[in-house]
Parts: sequence; structure tokens; C-alpha cells
Amino acid sequence: MASTACFMIVSKNDIPIYEAEVGTVPKKEDAAHQHQFILHAALDIVQDTAWNTSAMFLKSIDRFNDLVVSVYVTAGHILSFVMSD
Amino acid sequence: MATFLPQFQSIKSSFAHIVLSVEDVSDLWPTIKKGFEERLPFKRASLNNKTRNPVLVDELPAEFILTTDARLRSRFPQEQSLFWFREPYATIVLVTCEDLDEFKNILKPRLKLIVQNDDREWFIVYVSKAPAHNDQATKMAKKVFAKLEVDFSSKKRERCCKLDIHGPDPNFWDDLEGKIMECIRNTLDRRILFYEEEIRKLSEQRFMPVWNFCNFFILKGNYSGDKPCDCFWDTSESLAFMFEVAHLHEDALREYDELELCYLETGKQRDFGGMEKGDDQATLLDSGKKALAQIVQDDSFREFEFRQYLFSCQAKLLFKLKRPFEVASRGYSFIISFSGALALHESMLPFCMREVWVITACLALIGATASNYEDGLAAPDVEKEFYRVQGELHTLCHTKFMRLGHLVGYGSDIERSPVNRNDMLGNVDKRKVFCQENLSQSVDHHKEFYIFLHSAITLVFPCSASLSMLPWPKPAVWPPLPPDASSEVLAKEKMILQESPRLKHFGIQRKPLPLEPSVLLREANRRRASLSAGNMSDLFDGRPSCPAWQTELLNNTRGCILLLLISCVWDMHAYNCIKMENFLDSSQTSVSDSSGTPSAVQRVSNVSMSRTLSSPGNFDGSIDRPMRLAEIFVAAEHALRNTISDAELWKSLSSVEEFEKKYLDLSKGAANNYHRSWWKRHGVVLDGEIAAVHHKHENYDLAANLYEKVCALYAGEGWENLLAEVLPNLAECQKILSDQAGYLSSCVKLLSLDKGLFLPKERQAFQSEVVRLAHSEMEHPVPLDVSSLITFSSNQGPPLELCDGDPGTLTVALWSGFPDDITLESLSVMLTATNSNDEGAKAIKSSEAIVLMPGRNNITVSLPPQKPGSYVLGALTGQIGQLRFRSHSFSKGGPADTDDFMSFEKPTRPVLKVARPRSLVDLAAAVSSALLMNETQWVGIIVKPINYSLKGAVLHIDTGPGLSIAEKHEIEIEKHEFGANNTDHSDNPPDNHSPVSADVKQLSLEDGKINLPDWTSNITSVLWIPLKAISHGLAEGTPAGTVSQRQSIVDGLRTIALRLDFGVSHNQTFEKTVAVHFTDPFYVTTRVADKCSDGTLLLQVILQSQVKASLTVSDAWLDLQDGFAHTGKGDGRPVSKFFPLIVSSKSRAGILFSICVVDTPAKDGEELDPISVLNIRYTISGDRNLGAHSPVTKELTGPENETDPLTFRSALVLQRPVLDPCFAVGFLPLPSNGLRVGQLVTMKWRVERLKDSGKDVDSDDVDEVLYEVNVNSENWMVAGRKRGYTSLSTKQGSIIVISILCLPLVAGYVRPPQLGLPDVDKANISCNPPGPHLVCVLPPAFSSSYCVPAA
Repeated sequence: MASTACFMIVSKNDIPIYEAEVGTVPKKEDAAHQHQFILHAALDIVQDTAWNTSAMFLKSIDRFNDLVVSVYVTAGHILSFVMSD
Repeated sequence: MATFLPQFQSIKSSFAHIVLSVEDVSDLWPTIKKGFEERLPFKRASLNNKTRNPVLVDELPAEFILTTDARLRSRFPQEQSLFWFREPYATIVLVTCEDLDEFKNILKPRLKLIVQNDDREWFIVYVSKAPAHNDQATKMAKKVFAKLEVDFSSKKRERCCKLDIHGPDPNFWDDLEGKIMECIRNTLDRRILFYEEEIRKLSEQRFMPVWNFCNFFILKGNYSGDKPCDCFWDTSESLAFMFEVAHLHEDALREYDELELCYLETGKQRDFGGMEKGDDQATLLDSGKKALAQIVQDDSFREFEFRQYLFSCQAKLLFKLKRPFEVASRGYSFIISFSGALALHESMLPFCMREVWVITACLALIGATASNYEDGLAAPDVEKEFYRVQGELHTLCHTKFMRLGHLVGYGSDIERSPVNRNDMLGNVDKRKVFCQENLSQSVDHHKEFYIFLHSAITLVFPCSASLSMLPWPKPAVWPPLPPDASSEVLAKEKMILQESPRLKHFGIQRKPLPLEPSVLLREANRRRASLSAGNMSDLFDGRPSCPAWQTELLNNTRGCILLLLISCVWDMHAYNCIKMENFLDSSQTSVSDSSGTPSAVQRVSNVSMSRTLSSPGNFDGSIDRPMRLAEIFVAAEHALRNTISDAELWKSLSSVEEFEKKYLDLSKGAANNYHRSWWKRHGVVLDGEIAAVHHKHENYDLAANLYEKVCALYAGEGWENLLAEVLPNLAECQKILSDQAGYLSSCVKLLSLDKGLFLPKERQAFQSEVVRLAHSEMEHPVPLDVSSLITFSSNQGPPLELCDGDPGTLTVALWSGFPDDITLESLSVMLTATNSNDEGAKAIKSSEAIVLMPGRNNITVSLPPQKPGSYVLGALTGQIGQLRFRSHSFSKGGPADTDDFMSFEKPTRPVLKVARPRSLVDLAAAVSSALLMNETQWVGIIVKPINYSLKGAVLHIDTGPGLSIAEKHEIEIEKHEFGANNTDHSDNPPDNHSPVSADVKQLSLEDGKINLPDWTSNITSVLWIPLKAISHGLAEGTPAGTVSQRQSIVDGLRTIALRLDFGVSHNQTFEKTVAVHFTDPFYVTTRVADKCSDGTLLLQVILQSQVKASLTVSDAWLDLQDGFAHTGKGDGRPVSKFFPLIVSSKSRAGILFSICVVDTPAKDGEELDPISVLNIRYTISGDRNLGAHSPVTKELTGPENETDPLTFRSALVLQRPVLDPCFAVGFLPLPSNGLRVGQLVTMKWRVERLKDSGKDVDSDDVDEVLYEVNVNSENWMVAGRKRGYTSLSTKQGSIIVISILCLPLVAGYVRPPQLGLPDVDKANISCNPPGPHLVCVLPPAFSSSYCVPAA
């Protein structure tokens, strides 16, 4: 089954430093920017929740339609986002 | 049901305080009423809460009511349990009596009757009417009161108090209040117990498996015919309300929470509710909007109303507790969950009921919480959270409002940006956040309760994704088109046709983001078609695409007539297509629906599809025929008009202008609240949305401000894709506003974004804008930061190293991010010294215009001499036209740096190192040994570059006094080889030492300057300069044994001042004065070797070689002075001829001359020649690399002339023999005990006549000899005559001893007195052995004057 998945690493200054489309669905021209948009907005929530929990993996912190955003927060606050459907 | 519901509600609305009943036995109330009521409300009441913990209530309102009052009299006993909260909490019995008998007989029985009811809490107030001055009456009153106390008070409880009307005791009121409080507390405790017991019983039964409302009802039917849930609810709510009345809000809130949970646990209610007129307006904050009796359905309450009712009660209590932030967060959570509940019943509810309810609920909640909230009410983090929730409420409302806007056809007026779908984000797990927050915040809340509540909500609404997806409304049937709506349809058609896709600035064409959930046309028709003929389902989802020629035509023409024609044709075509694709479509609908992201291509074709179908004539309102988009809009509008009862909300949807106004209000509200919370990104992103609206309405100023905020956020965090969406808009606004600086900056930013984000054509457009502005007449030349576009770095490899004072050439690599070549009028590179802070950066300018190609460019700039230190590249400045640009960023594009992509700020690497001043060259004399004086000699100067090129160097030579350059001769230069002198002897001496070897080059001297050849620039070379040291004096020979050679060394020193100009532009100078030593070949000493008896003297001349060369003496002769003559042949030649005599370096040779003394009479007027001259003819065989060598002129003549002798002349001074002593003077030994200061000592000299005086010698002739003692009077005291005559026989060998008594004065080594004979020539006195130079004088002995010997 075709799936959309996007992996992104965001530095502690909230700068995206790596982005990869890892899903099987071919990347649409406009989708990448949509993914960035979703992940960028999720930063607010990550910022919110990361300090309230001791867990490093924040599962399903955000959702856009059927795309679910999960994030792994390292001790140095480097964020590894995974967005998949 | 609902017998008591209206009653309860009316009681609730009218009863807000505690009731205290007054039993006025003696008609006293009118007199004392005022005093009693002045005490209300009670301050600082202490009550017990449900857990029996004392709670201090600051203000407790209450009312005194007479028991005879109708309000108390009319109640039935059975109501009491339910409405117990309104029953009096205390009964105050007012009595007065001034007679004991009366008390006993009348009052006491009556009082007993009144207080016999144990249910009531009571106490007696005895009112004394006795005036203060009437002692009798007062005494009586006291007696009666004492009696009263005995009869009614007990040890445990005081139930009586006394009020003196004419002079009340100040403690009375406190006593009264205390008693009232005690009563209230007791009553409250009792009632709580009762309610708890009731609730417990009811709850237990509720959890039994067979329990249902009906059974419960039957079992508990004695509850006056009321239904069980009501009983339960009444009991619970009565308890809650009782708490509320008692101002125990926390407990009341807890009761309501439990009530809500119980309600949710009872499961699905049969009737949901929400079908009545006005239900679309949320009542979640208005508990009195609808009577409770109206919301009862069968055996339960309708969920729709009841949940809102419960929430409103909770909200009311929270507001009273001053916790509006909690209302907001609970409310948001409530709206989410309730929206889910509405979705479950959507098919039953009016069209878009859910959306409308959410909008009104959000607005109500926003209004209520904001008005109840004051800044600083809560802790900062709670406050931030409050604003975040406010923002969330705004965005939720905003989203739903937009959805309605889409339905009525205002979708095109909403900017489709990523921005305005932001509200879909972040909704998931808000419930969790809410619960977590409450868990952490609820200090005095039951955590278990929230966990329970959370799980309950989760059970009912397993996922809030339904909200985040925001699907289109799903009514059972999509509203049909009302009749007589053709004109409205036409208007909508027109509106659709007038839509023109906005072209972005720079001609950017972007597909909109796939952010909408689905296509409305398809959704609406699917809902309709599901009820109509089966094969017409999923009609017109836009899948059959319009032929290209038609699309083209559509884009070019906007005439309705033409469209009509096309649509007629197209209708038929589409119909066939749909039939064919029906199967495919039905299978894919669900996919598209769930993903909600149809491709942009699909959407584009949808629009064209809808246009083609917009033929006014086709419309017949049949349910079987799929609706067109305009028809859907009109139908939805009509349906919404029926749903929406709020005039304000409807007004907002009535026109595009009103819609946009509301839309902006909501967006602004959301943005402002997000800004005040910590969700800045959400806030800024919403700002972008507001900006888009302003942009559309040509409020460019406002739009630009907001866009700038959005761009700053995206740029700051490096989200380039998102920036690429918004930045062109900002640029357009800035261009229109003539903000040249901003516009240029935006263009540069656009250019510096990732290349893949824009088409090459678009990037070229950006560049052409920059160039156009740069070359236009700008009013104010703007500085522009192009750091992101033009980056630079030093070239790979080590930094350029320069010596102090040298200019250089610096190469800088520039990366141009411009898509095309761009001409820079000038370019400057700033160099910053790393070691000094005080010194600013220096600009190194490249003068000529530079054309930068896309990608890497190597730029060369010439570098003037810099101060010593290490320099890094600071910044790049330059000009494009009139534009001054500046770049600060180091390139990331360097190939060696690609692995370092994590760091944006590269550590600055020195690009230039200017060394501290050091010696770059050295000049030294090649030979340290002496050269020949008065001959032209090669003087070697070693020119040694020290890691520095001497290319083009010029040497200035200035000879000192006594030295001259033989200008006839060329100057030679050759490579200098260390150790060549030693090693090459055995190998190939001719090759290496030949002056004509290949390495030797001839140079010429011009004006005292020599240009050094280039081949010597990096090697140590020797410059051979022909120099002649001139000394006019004649060398002097000295007698053997005397040392005076030092003088001749100093005389032979000559200096050469050298100055070397070198460096890249002759900027370096090196000056040095080199000393060269010249000397004569021989040092001559003489001695008389032998003195023959015949008067012949053998004069030995010793020749000491002074040069490091082999000297060959071929001839030598002596020109004698007057008074001497050669013996023998008389040619002045030596005694024996051993010539040629070879004198090697530093060795000596001797020549013997035989001379004799002759008397030469002095001629008149002629001075005697006082000196003899030694003439030596010699040749020299040496190496210029070692020292003295053949003179230059000789060398030039060739090897065959090497033997041409040189002549060396040295003066000798000969003295006639003087050894003719007549007297011998000897110093006689001193006494052996030594000399001591103060001790007399006798110095003795012996004078002996060595030969006859030469006069006529008589045998006893005595001659007087004058003697003199020379003595230093500071050291010696002479006792006796220092000078005098003594007689000595004239005969040879006569001796006298001269004694002088002396006294040493100073201890130490002192010179002893000397005896001299002044009348005798020194040459005739022999002092052999001579007297001692110094004698030792001991310090004085101890003074004998004072020390007497022991003996």
C-alpha cells in the first residue's frame, strides 16, 4: 500500500537541517511544502509538550488530516520528526 | 416526570442565600429586626465541607425570615428532602418576659413546644426591655434569663443569649453570630450526610446489572412519583446547589463534575435533542436559557441540552472561583467533544447545525472568559496557557466559519495559503493536554476525577481527528435547491465567473496547497445521489477532464454565451464519460474523501467543470439531476438561513464584505491570543492570513507589516519552502509601497532561497528587478545585505604569507547565487586583523568592474603592504549600479566544506599572514682573513637571502676611506657553497675555484650600484668586488721581543658600507657595513744574531707571513741606513741565497745579513738616513675564497704571469751597539725577618766599577761618584741623605756598599727605594740582577709602649 512519510531533523534553533521524503507515494510538487508547513506548525506543540514530559519520543503530537506527526526529542533538543499516514 | 423541575429551577434562580427562621414569640422582631439585619452578610463564616474539613467563607449571605412568612409556611414535607437546601438553617426564638411566674406558666411550656422538633437547629434570644436605671426590672430580667438558661441550655451547648434593648452588651452580637454559625454548620453537616446517603444508595443501584431507569423508578417510586434519574440528579444537584448557596464553590463544582460523569456513564440517551429552534446557539454558558422540564425525554435528559446545562453550572462556579482560564480550557475541550457528539447525530440535525453550534459556542466562551479574565489573575504560565486556549477557540471558530463561507460560495474570497489551514493543526490530543494541565494545576482537585473524566471523554469520542479533518457537513440529504432561486443561482454563477486566479508577483505560478478536505461539488452531489437513482451517484467529481481546446477557450473568453454553447456540448460528453467511469469513481471516492487532498490538477479541472455546467437554462430543480456548484451554494445558503437563528451570525454570512469582516476579526483574535501565549508560530502564521486579506484589499501597508513578521519567522528558522510562499507577496507589497530598500532586500532573499523552489525564469525575474532598481534613479541609495546571495571564502590552501611591508595579491573565491551573470561596478574585501581589536577592518578594493558568473568566481585583488599580523576576511562590499551591497557570510559552497553542513558559521580561517619584521637577507664578508694591502684584491660579499626572494635587488656599495674600487674591472658574482673551500681541495679544485667557472657571472658597477641577477634571488651568492686598500706608510720592522703588531691590525681595517634594495617593489632595504682586513704580507722583526769579534754583526731578519696564502720570496736586499755597511759583496743581499724562499701561511722565515758599523761623518746640510729599508720581492699564491691572493691585475694577465713578483718594503731601525757598562749596581738582600711598618731597615746597594774610568789611572786614585736614592715618600721615610757623593776607587773591580736607613710607612707590596747614579749614563750601568720590583711590608707590630713583656 502506498504511504506518505516524511522525515525531518530540526536543530535546536528550529532550523530544518535535513528533510527526506521516505514514503512510497511519489512526491507531489506541492506536497513537500505542505509537509514543511505541517511540521513547522507542530514545533509549537513540541515546544509545549517536550518540557512537560520526561519521555523523549512524543508519539502523535499532531495531526493533519490523516498525516500523523511524531517526534523524537534528543537531550540536546534536536528534533527528529516523522510524519506518516 | 419533572414535577419538581420547574420548581427547582425557580428556586435555584431565586435562592442565592441561606435562610434563617425567626420564631417571634413575643412580637419583638419589628423592634430588633434592624439590628439583626445589619449583621448580614456574615463575615468570615466557618463551615465544614463535604469531607468535614473546615472552610472559611469570606462572605456568607443570609436572610432572616419569620416562621409566619408565607414562603416557609407553604412547603410540603415531602419536598423537603429534595429542596432541603432552601429550608432554614437555624431557628432563632425571640422571647421576653419580666415575671418569673409568667415564664414558668406560659412561656416555658410554649418554648418547649417550639423546640421539641429535633430536626431544627435553634437557640433562644432573650430580649430585656428593662431600662438601665430601673434596678428592679433589671434584676428581674436577670432572674428570668437565669431560669431560661437553666431550662434550655445544657453543658454541651449554650442555647440562650440575652439582648438588652436599652444598652446592648457589645459581646452580644458576636455571641449571636457564633450561635447562628454553629446552627448553620450543624444543619449543613446533617444535610450533607443525608444527601450523601441518598446518592450512595442511588448510585449503588445504578451499577447493578439489572438496573435501569424503569426499575429504579419502580423501586424508588415513593419519591413522590418522580423518576429516578431526576431523583438522583435532584439529589446531586441539590447538594451541589446547597454547597453553592453556602459559598462552598469548590464542593459544588466537584458535585457537578461527578454529576456529569454519572450522566455520561449512563450511556446513550434515546433522544439527542438539538432539533428545536434556536438550538444552534450554544447555551453552554447560559443555564437558564431553556427550562429543565423541556429537556426531559422519557426517563432521562436529552444530551444536547443537559450537557450544556451542566457545563454552564460548572462555568458559573468557576467564574465565582475566579478561574476563568479553567473555563476556557474546559470549554474548549467540551466544544471538541460535543462537536464529536454532534457529528454522530449530524444526519438528524439541521444542516450545518454542528458548525453553527461550534461557532456560537466558541464566541460565547471567548466573550465570557475574556470579560472575566484580568491580566495578572493567574501565574504567568497559566496565563500563557489561557491565551493559547483563547487562540485555539478563535481558530476553531474561524475554521468552522470558513467552512460555512465555502458552502455559500465565499471560498474564492479566502486566501488559499498554507496559513489559513493552520487551525486544522494541533487539535489532536488537546484532550490530553487539557487533562495533563489540569492534573498539574489542580492542587485541591481530585486527580482521580480528571483521569476518570479523560477516560470517559476518550470512550465517547475515540479520536478528535474527525474535527481536524474538517470534512464537509454530512446531512442525510444535501439540501435541495429551493424553488424560485434561479436569480440567486445566476448571481452565484456570475460570481464564479468573475473569479480570476490571482497571479503572483514576478509571474510566479503556484498550485495552491492541497489543503481542502474535498471537493464540495462532489460531496454535495454524492449526498444527494445516494438517495436517488443509484447509477447517478458520484456524479461530476471532475474526473473527465475538459479537452485542451476547450480549456484554452475558457481561459481566453469570458462570454457567457460561448460558455453556454460549450457546456451544451460538454454536458453530453461528460454524461457519457461519467457512465463509463462510474465504477472507478465509486471505488476511489472513499480514498479521495479520506485523504482530503486531491491533486491540484483535479481541482483546476473541477473549476472548469463547474463553469461549463453553469448554464442558467439547464436548471430544473429535480433531485435526480446533479446540482451545479452555484446551485449548491444557493441551496446551502437557504438551508443555513433556516439553521442559523443568530441574527449576527447570519449577517456575517449575508455578504462577502461582512463575511470577510468577521473572518478578519476571528483571525486577528486568534493571532493576538497566540502571540500572547507561547505559540508564536501559530500567531505569526495567522498574521500571514490577515496580511493576505489586506493584500487583496490593497491595504499594502498593513499587509507588508504582517508579511514581514511571517517572513521573519520563516527566514529566522530557515523554513525556506514556506518562505518561498509568502515572500513574493511581501515583495509585491513593498514594490507598490515604493519601499525600495525592502523590495530589494526581498528580491535578494528570493534569489538566495533554494534554487529548486523557483523556476529559472522566476529567478531571472528577481535578478532583473534587482538590476533594474540598481541602475535606476533611486531617491535614496540603499545599502543592501546580500549575505545570503553572494558568499565568499578564501581559496583553499594555506593563507597568503607576506613579509612585513610587502604588497601582495589576494585571491578570493566568490559564489554568486544570481541565476545570470551580474556586473559589479566595484568590489571591496574587508580584512580584519585577528590579533588587534582596536584596529578596524581595512577595505581592499578591486578597481575594475567584475562580472560574476553564477557559481564560483575567483577574484584577485591587489593588496598594499599591511601591518604584521594575521588577517581574516571580514566582509564583502561592492556596488551594483548605484546599489551598495554588503555580504558577511562565508561560503558554504566550498567543496572541502560540504561535510561540514551542520555548521552555518564557519570558523574564520586566516587568509593573510603578514610576518613580523625579520631579517630577510644578510650581507657578510666572505673572507675573514687579511688581504694584501696596496694591491687590488677581490673582496667577497656574501649575499644571503633568508627565505625571501631577492628578485630585482640592487646593491649600493660605498667604500670607506683608504679603500677604492678598481672600476676598470668587472664585478663577479657566483653561487656560494658552504664548505666548498674545504671539500673541494681534493676533488676538482680547478673547476670549482676557477674564476671563469660557469657559475661566475660578470657584473658592472653603475653609480655605485649593482643589479643582482635574478638567478641569485633565492640562493646565497658571493659578490666579488675588486678593491684596493691604500696605505701610504711604510711597514716597520721591530726588534725581536717587542710586541707592536696590534697597531698594524687596526691600521689595516677598512669598511665597506652596503645597502641592498630589494622586495617586490624595492620596498625593503638592508644596510650593513662590512669590515675588511688588509695587511702587509710579512711582519718583519730583526735581531742581531751574533757579534763577531771583528765588529761584524749578523743581522737576522725574521719574516712572519700574515696572510693565508703561500708567499714565495724571490729576492731580498737591505738598504742600510747611515752608520752601517754591508760586509762582503756589498750588494745588500743576504749572506746566503736560498731563493726562492717559500713562506707558507702563518709560518716564519729568516734571512741573515752581514753588516758592520761604520763611522760615517756627517755631511754638511745633509741629514743622515735614519732608517734601513728591507726590500723583498715575492709572489703570492692564494685563493680569494680563503684570503689574500694575487692582485686582480695580475690575474687578468693570465696564469703565465703569475710569477711576476711584488715588492714589499719594510723599514728597519738599526742602532749602534750600546753594551759598554762601567758600573754594576746590585741590591743586597733584605733581612730575612721581613719588613714591618715602623721598623727601621737598612737598604744596601753594592756599586762595583767594572772597568777603568778611562782616565789616567793612579793606583789610589779615588773618584767621587754621585748617588741618589729615588723613593716614594708616601711609602718610605729615608733616614739620612738621599743624594750624595761617595768615593770609589777608579780601578776596575773596586766596590763600595751604600746603605740607607729606611722606615716603611705602608704595609703591602711596595716599590723599594732605587739607587741611581745620576752622573753616569744609563747605558754604562748594568743592573744585573736588577733590584726587586716590589717588597713585602708587614703591618706594624703591637705597640710595645703599652705592652710590657711578661718576663
